[in-house]
Amino acid sequence: MYSQEIESLLKSKKIKVGDKILVSKGKSTYSGILMPRIELGDTSSLVLKLDNGYNIGVKFEKDTKIRLSQKGKPIRFKPAEMTARKDPNKPTVSILGCGGTIGARVEYTTGAVFPAFSPGDLIASFPELGDIANIKGKKLFDILSEDMTPEHWKVVAKEVVKEIESGVDGIVLMHGTDTLHFTAAALSFMLKDLPVPVILVGAQRSSDRGSSDNLPNLVSAVVAAARSDIAEVMVCMHANMSDNFCYLHQGTKVRKLHTSRRDAFQSVNVLPYAKISYPEKKIEMLRTDYRKRDKKTVKIDDKFNTNVALIYTYPGIKPEFIQSLRTFEGVVIAGTGLGHFPTNPTNDSFTKSVLLAVKNLIDSNIPVVIAPQTIHGRLNLNVYETGRRMEKVGVIGNECDWTPETALIKLMFVLGHTKDMNKVREMMTTNISGEVSERTEVL
Amino acid sequence: MDKKINYKSVRLKAGLELHQQLNTKHKLFCKCPTEMKAKTNHSAIIRKQHVVRSELGEADTAAQFEFLRDRTFHYQIFPEEVCLVCVDEEPPHELNREALDIALQVALLLNCETIPTELHVMRKIVIDGSTPMGFQRTVVVGMNGHIGFKGKRIPITQITLEEDAGAIVEEKGGNVTFRLNRIGVPLVEIDTGILEGFGPAELQEIAYIIGIMVRSTGKTKQGIGAIRQDMNVSIRNGQRVEVKGIQELSLLSKVVEFEVQRQMKEHAKPETRGANQDGTTRFLRPLSGSNRMYPETDIPPFVISKQHLEELKKSLPEPLIHKLERFKSKFKLSNSLAEEIMESEYLSLFEKIMEKVKADPTIVANTFTSIIKDLVRREKVEINRIYEHRFFELFEHLADKKIIKESIPEIIKYLASYPQDGVSDAVKELNLRPLTASEVKDIANSILSEQPNIQFEKLYGIVMSKVRGKIDSQEVMHIVKSLIKK
Repeated sequence: MYSQEIESLLKSKKIKVGDKILVSKGKSTYSGILMPRIELGDTSSLVLKLDNGYNIGVKFEKDTKIRLSQKGKPIRFKPAEMTARKDPNKPTVSILGCGGTIGARVEYTTGAVFPAFSPGDLIASFPELGDIANIKGKKLFDILSEDMTPEHWKVVAKEVVKEIESGVDGIVLMHGTDTLHFTAAALSFMLKDLPVPVILVGAQRSSDRGSSDNLPNLVSAVVAAARSDIAEVMVCMHANMSDNFCYLHQGTKVRKLHTSRRDAFQSVNVLPYAKISYPEKKIEMLRTDYRKRDKKTVKIDDKFNTNVALIYTYPGIKPEFIQSLRTFEGVVIAGTGLGHFPTNPTNDSFTKSVLLAVKNLIDSNIPVVIAPQTIHGRLNLNVYETGRRMEKVGVIGNECDWTPETALIKLMFVLGHTKDMNKVREMMTTNISGEVSERTEVL
Repeated sequence: MDKKINYKSVRLKAGLELHQQLNTKHKLFCKCPTEMKAKTNHSAIIRKQHVVRSELGEADTAAQFEFLRDRTFHYQIFPEEVCLVCVDEEPPHELNREALDIALQVALLLNCETIPTELHVMRKIVIDGSTPMGFQRTVVVGMNGHIGFKGKRIPITQITLEEDAGAIVEEKGGNVTFRLNRIGVPLVEIDTGILEGFGPAELQEIAYIIGIMVRSTGKTKQGIGAIRQDMNVSIRNGQRVEVKGIQELSLLSKVVEFEVQRQMKEHAKPETRGANQDGTTRFLRPLSGSNRMYPETDIPPFVISKQHLEELKKSLPEPLIHKLERFKSKFKLSNSLAEEIMESEYLSLFEKIMEKVKADPTIVANTFTSIIKDLVRREKVEINRIYEHRFFELFEHLADKKIIKESIPEIIKYLASYPQDGVSDAVKELNLRPLTASEVKDIANSILSEQPNIQFEKLYGIVMSKVRGKIDSQEVMHIVKSLIKK
């Protein structure tokens, strides 16, 4: 929105965004299309698109005069009209949209980002998809992935089940990358006896650029959904900074490990299930321990208790902070090293132990689960006195190898099923969906 | 081909687009240096690019064309000169203020009446793979400027600040390789309006004047590729043809001549052509549509305050035309030498040296205008390998009488071969320590003692062959004369 002064002047002159106008100011005259004011910058500057395509900002001042020179078309996104043809010899893949960069399209006049989500839009944007499979497309919601909540996961799970029951050969979920690994882990716990691949895919670069990773990622995801034998919840993203292959990561063992690189998602403590070459579209298996496709019907278990906290411990953490967590029904502490938080076994005068505060939580039936800040590696509470003390007060997670995010979601899931501390402990440390492994390969 | 084309009667119309790299500390949207020193890449990233649907959902014809060529791009990564921003793996950082100020100075020097009060960085779609993003970031910093030429007003329609693209290394089959150390180096682009009624030589002169105005900032890069000229050429009843990548200004008039001849013969199609080394052009791709630009949403609009603009106006650098007079009066350079150094790519280096070193200005200017030129032309010496500070060392040696001017070419050759060595290493390795008069006298005397009846010319010749490059020949002449007289 422009400043009030400009908006009312535009209104009085019946000038709308998209109209061609003449702006004169002192000796200078500018001719161009009036652009919408983006939220950043100076709201008292008119943004004009010049004939050569450049935008400039012209400060609106006392001597500025505006004149309509040509009524324009309103600037908005024109969706592509294209119908996806159906080929009975091809597998069918259902693509569900949850928002994010990958599902977005740019309106090139303003640079504004629009969601695009009919099968026609998808085929128009990514014609290669139609060569791989019959595409079904559906938009579930259009939000930024940092705004996702456990309620959204439940909607996604239900829609996935609906699609599977309709007989599709695989499902692709287009998702924002910020919290993509949370959703992947949540679906891994919720969907039981999956008969087909369920693949989450995102993009790290916007779709407007010819070099966006959206096409390689989406094509690889659709290839995996249509052709692979792996009936698991997976994440399909760039394996490195080049466009030569993508990895299929296990949904409970993957994490975003970089703010911006194309290969931000990496498997933690395990190998990816497979790599998919691009543009060759070949699937190369890297593991054999996966669920194979079958005709079983999928079951859904979406009981979650979301009243769970995830915190980092840090040098100087205060016991009061831990105490304040008693409003939650479960706590995950991302510990240092092998999973530690300060317990002060040497009775140092500066150090404050949080052990008693943790014990009080556990004693009030709030399970405390640990996870590694290091992301990689397995927790072990037997090596140092600190760990032994933690184990003694009942901290859960010894010898587990989950990421903090997977530990959080598992705790939500487990607490959705039981509040009994012993049951919680047993379910947490027992593998449900590949999140707890017994051994780590030398990779 | 008829050489006597009447350019007025064929209605030659041309628009010039001059691109000049800026010599800033950092690239335009990241903190990489702009020096481009690295010679070897340590890795490469492989990318594909696909058609993006440009404005209003219609794919750009040029993009389609490129897409059909189904190419794979290989981007060479140079340690310390390429970062994640350069390979499109990290969002751009804020617009480089140093580069912006230089671009604004250019806009002011070229008399732009319009400087946008708020800058909007745009993404210009690039579909040849030369940027890993698939676009080039560019921003208008000035409009409605002009320069004078032969009493006429040459319109400067627009000045933009933009990031340079990667430099092509090779194209083999469907594989194209680019060096990425150049990507992101700031460039100013200066566009003239359509120029009518000028011949090829005049167009070249206009380009030269624009170039010299830009160089007045003293913040421009020098050497091959630092200035690149594109132009639009059309003739009566013809179509606009864009010629890209004229690497040397001296080629511009030839390109116009050849292009007009070609257009008269072939009836031109609207297309983009590339300039060849000999001034002819080759087909590159159909002319791009105009819908190739959209906002760079990762960089917020930038407001230029009136106060900042006033400060820039006050500290505007001296236009080079004024500099010429100053060189003649202060440095006592001859008119022709002063003009030559003004046109030289070494102008700013010359000035920096004159500020710091008390060497004879004529010798310094001459080194840059003729000695280096000769070494490059005749002996293919790779001057670009020499670090800038070596030239300071060289002229300090001269000022301190540690070398004589005759040894300058040998030292430059040495420095180009061994860039890690200093001037004192060169003096030592080449045995160029100046000889004193008495040392020369001793040499001459020892010859005289063996050949007491030797003639003056012969003796002078033998002595010179032993002392060349270590003492002034006039002095040798004096010494030999004085001995023969005895």
